[in-house]
Amino acid sequence: MNRIVTVAAKELVDTLRDRRTMLVTLLTSIAAGPLFLVLILNMAANQAERARELKLPVQGASHAPALMAYLQRQQVTIQQAPADYEARIRAGDLDVALVIDADFESDVGKGNAATVRLVYDRSRDRARASIDAAEALLRGYNRQWGTQRLLLRGVAPQVALPLEIEGVDLATPQQSGALILFLVAYYGLFASLMGGMVLALDSTAGERERGSLEPLLATPLAPPEIAAGKWAAIAIFDALVVLLTLFGFYLTLNFAPLPALGVPFLFGPLELLRFIAILLPLVALLPAALLYMGIRGRTLKEAQANVSVLLFIVSMMPVIQLFLQKKEPPWLLWVPISAQYTLLSRALRGDAIPLLDWAQSAVVPVALTLLALHVVARRLGRETALGSRD
Amino acid sequence: MIAVDGLVKCFGKQHQIVAVDGASFQAADGAITGLLGPNGAGKTTLLRMLATLIAPDSGTATVDGRDVVNDRYRVREGIGVLSDARGLYARLTARENVRYYGRLHGLDGAALDARIDDLFAGLGLGALADRRTQGFSQGERMKVAIARALVHDPTTLLLDEPTNGLDIMSIRGLRELLRGLRAAGKCILFSTHVMQEVSALCDTIVILGRGRVIAEGTGAELLVRSGQATLEDAFVALLGSGEGLAA
Repeated sequence: MNRIVTVAAKELVDTLRDRRTMLVTLLTSIAAGPLFLVLILNMAANQAERARELKLPVQGASHAPALMAYLQRQQVTIQQAPADYEARIRAGDLDVALVIDADFESDVGKGNAATVRLVYDRSRDRARASIDAAEALLRGYNRQWGTQRLLLRGVAPQVALPLEIEGVDLATPQQSGALILFLVAYYGLFASLMGGMVLALDSTAGERERGSLEPLLATPLAPPEIAAGKWAAIAIFDALVVLLTLFGFYLTLNFAPLPALGVPFLFGPLELLRFIAILLPLVALLPAALLYMGIRGRTLKEAQANVSVLLFIVSMMPVIQLFLQKKEPPWLLWVPISAQYTLLSRALRGDAIPLLDWAQSAVVPVALTLLALHVVARRLGRETALGSRD
Repeated sequence: MIAVDGLVKCFGKQHQIVAVDGASFQAADGAITGLLGPNGAGKTTLLRMLATLIAPDSGTATVDGRDVVNDRYRVREGIGVLSDARGLYARLTARENVRYYGRLHGLDGAALDARIDDLFAGLGLGALADRRTQGFSQGERMKVAIARALVHDPTTLLLDEPTNGLDIMSIRGLRELLRGLRAAGKCILFSTHVMQEVSALCDTIVILGRGRVIAEGTGAELLVRSGQATLEDAFVALLGSGEGLAA
């Protein structure tokens, strides 16, 4: 036990002194997540702002004064559309434009349906809020006008509008903003992988490449002690990075200008604690997996190639889940990474997480951790652990 | 006291590369035994087996009566190894590098620090003790590696080409150190392909060629046996012309 502590302490001191690695780790895991989040939140806030203060460029406004008055009553600022509005919409300078047919008045007079054209480019995400708002306003005007006509003729509006659509949005405020939700959970996962990566490689393949593994193996240290000590150091460091990353989120989500979004995002002290608890099995598993990948590599380069496989798996699983867009099957909680991602999303949505679910998500990671440590110890005990020979 | 008896070690998938081929010799306490051989003679493999890092295919070896396979952890407590790979931790200071190994050997506290001070003073490392080994010269690194191998005061020393890459002054310092350890009764086995090392230092010379012990004895004995005037000529004569660059 003493020797395990000695190994772990040495690895930690060694890493903490590596200024460049520390800087890179700090930047990638601790600062990048919250920074990204602020950008996304800003974008979302801007979009909400845009929809609320719709500026609508109109061509031929004089043909439909009643419609213009209606729009203005709905807080829309009417602007004269520039002549090249189509080109500008294509270029993304304009979100949407309204074109009123020259025959609008005469069509209305004849009792025909009058034509208005809404011009937009739906492939632009940024413009979508404005497009939807403009469309909704025109539909509203259409309905109001038709209803008035029916009333004038003594017909109840229900005759023409047999269906009354009432939307009941079940999303609590926290449930909106799925993208932000995804990002927070994703970065939480990512931190638990990135946190231990450099240390894991340095203390395995790096140790061999530096030629310090052979003298170490000639000490009374048993291979399982080496594996356990190195794993403990990586896991501690990993936990530290995860904590700092989550704390960065906590600060961002609680002190960034969020209310403009209308999504009071829930990431308070309780969510912070839940996140830590959910990620705990990965803080055990990923360092063990990294250690295994590192010891498999004969050189640092080879180990890095091994680790990129792990990186790919960890980064793809949540993305696949996001795109499947299905309700998670119950067995998913047995799958490491997917289980943690599922639980993290639940925590963010404010759902309850039964202790049993957490325990289920921890079973496979704990078993795999022990297995990985066993295999690492066996590899260290083999002659090939020494690398090159003459 | 090291006793090697019929050690065999092969490498490769079909064990087709025979690195050590039935080597037998002894190295006494209070003596310096030189393992002399050309490149590829099996010196490093032999030392690695004695350091318990690899297991022999057949034959036995004991260090102070302990078997290097069955009793390997107890063997490790009594040996100091300066292996072919002698990397240090660049971000740790010289003292921390040595202290790490001391702790792994169960030492700690003031006793360990006093021991390190002694070793560093003896090696002339005092001024460098608390500097990171990052920028150390090859000689300075070697001294730290030697201190690391000696920190637990082992009875037996296994040194794999300890003078490699050292300048004359450092080599002289190392010789002094080894003579001091011999006087203290240690069993010192070191490998080299440098003739001067052997003649300057060794009580017994074991000449290794193609994994076999070709000759064993003091320098004078080897001269008599080969009928040559110098050790170098004796070495070449005993190995036969097939060794060397042509092999």
